[in-house]
Amino acid sequence: MIEARGLAKRYGDLVAVSDVSFTVQPGEVVGFLGPNGAGKTTTMRILTGFLPPTDGSAVIDGHDIFTDPLAARRAIGYLPETPPVYPEMSVDGYLGYVAKLKDVPRGQRKAAVDRAIERCGLADVRRRLIGALSKGYRQRVGLAQAIVHDPPVMIFDEPTVGLDPIQIREIRALICELASARDGRARTVILSTHILPEVEAICRRVIIMHRGRKALDAPIEELRKQGSLEEVFARTTAGDVAVHEPEAPVQEARA
Amino acid sequence: MRHVGAIAGRELASLFVSPVAYTVLTLFAVLAGFFFLSNVLQFQAYVERMQAFQAMEQLEGLNLNDHVIAPFLQTMSVVLLFLIPGITMGLFAAEKANGTQELLLTSPITVWELVLGKFLAAFAFVLILVALLAVFPAILLLYGNPELGKIGAGLLAMVLIGSVYASIGAFASSLTSNQLTAFFVAFVLLLILLMLGFLAELGAAGGAVNSEGVSGVLRWLSTAEHFESMLMGLVDSKDLVYFGVMSAAFLVLTKAAVESVRWR
Repeated sequence: MIEARGLAKRYGDLVAVSDVSFTVQPGEVVGFLGPNGAGKTTTMRILTGFLPPTDGSAVIDGHDIFTDPLAARRAIGYLPETPPVYPEMSVDGYLGYVAKLKDVPRGQRKAAVDRAIERCGLADVRRRLIGALSKGYRQRVGLAQAIVHDPPVMIFDEPTVGLDPIQIREIRALICELASARDGRARTVILSTHILPEVEAICRRVIIMHRGRKALDAPIEELRKQGSLEEVFARTTAGDVAVHEPEAPVQEARA
Repeated sequence: MRHVGAIAGRELASLFVSPVAYTVLTLFAVLAGFFFLSNVLQFQAYVERMQAFQAMEQLEGLNLNDHVIAPFLQTMSVVLLFLIPGITMGLFAAEKANGTQELLLTSPITVWELVLGKFLAAFAFVLILVALLAVFPAILLLYGNPELGKIGAGLLAMVLIGSVYASIGAFASSLTSNQLTAFFVAFVLLLILLMLGFLAELGAAGGAVNSEGVSGVLRWLSTAEHFESMLMGLVDSKDLVYFGVMSAAFLVLTKAAVESVRWR
């Protein structure tokens, strides 16, 4: 579960994120949308413990990011915009290293790496150096490092960038499978993307950020009644109306 | 602290799959061989000249420790000034440039574990360099009988100064995402530190630093002051404290610099 309470991030006078609150329940896949510079990445970086918020707090799987930061970070799998990989390492070696960093117990590390490799379709390249892999494979390695410790909370920043259509379908299926409680464990997923059909394919709920604020938070079902997601997105992020009255579109959505 | 080993191990392994480690090791071995040979030849020429003059007193005063090994290690400590920044420049800068810093800072590890892991990797490399150096005095053992204790003190001095250099190199690397910048920042810091004692003397002579306290502090901060006496075989606990304090101080600064990502 993710609970964000009044998150804000200011850099001097520049307000990157302001008063962002939301809760994501286990089993939920939330699409995190917004124009470039809307504060999506900053919000995700706050949730993952990379940046501290100037204001507000967040609770990840029951662990407060301030009072229990290590446990909160242990509960998260994070794929940043650029996959955080070491080009000089092999896929196997890299995932083993990440498993160590993420506190996977020694005896379970090999199984954890094998599972991540299998899930992300990396079996053919597991002994290759990451620097020698194509962009798509590198993206999958990035995804594998985010799930190697089987975290209850996952945050993906544009996970399907650079993949071919078949890989995209596989990764989407994987994300859906991770979120569903099919193996008895419901996980929480936040997915940031610019590909709107992707959101419609995977997510049941959408949060749209605009100018550092949460401009809309509604189930996909309700948005469908108002037209295509693209229209809703354009309307929400268009005028200054949405900036000064961030609540308005939400009420509209729930009407 | 259980992640320190993992971080240090990865860092060392990545040094050895890149050309950096091999370039540095080769350069170090070649330079060591060159300077060692030149010290030995100089020593030999000096001995021959003294024998020709029948200068028994001077001959008595000559020994391998003070006239071959100590000057050799002294020269190699200057070589470390160039090479250790080459090893440490990537420690943090490469993580930032790579985007892997995001992995590290969102993992359940503490900043101390990260800093210590990085430092230990560089320190392990220093140990490899000093082990390479140890070969040369060992050659002398075959042909003469230099004092083992003095050799040990000299090698210990190299390890300790290497530790300070590694710590400063790590600090420089934590300031930037550009490895070249990290290299030069480290190099300049090390150079200043080495010359502080010299600077104090210059200042005293010119009247700029006329307080005994200031020049004393400058001299205490200088690596040269502590290094040279140990090279001559004098292992003083005051010098050991100096090396420990300097290494630790720059690790604390490194930790602050790594954490500063979060303050901004």
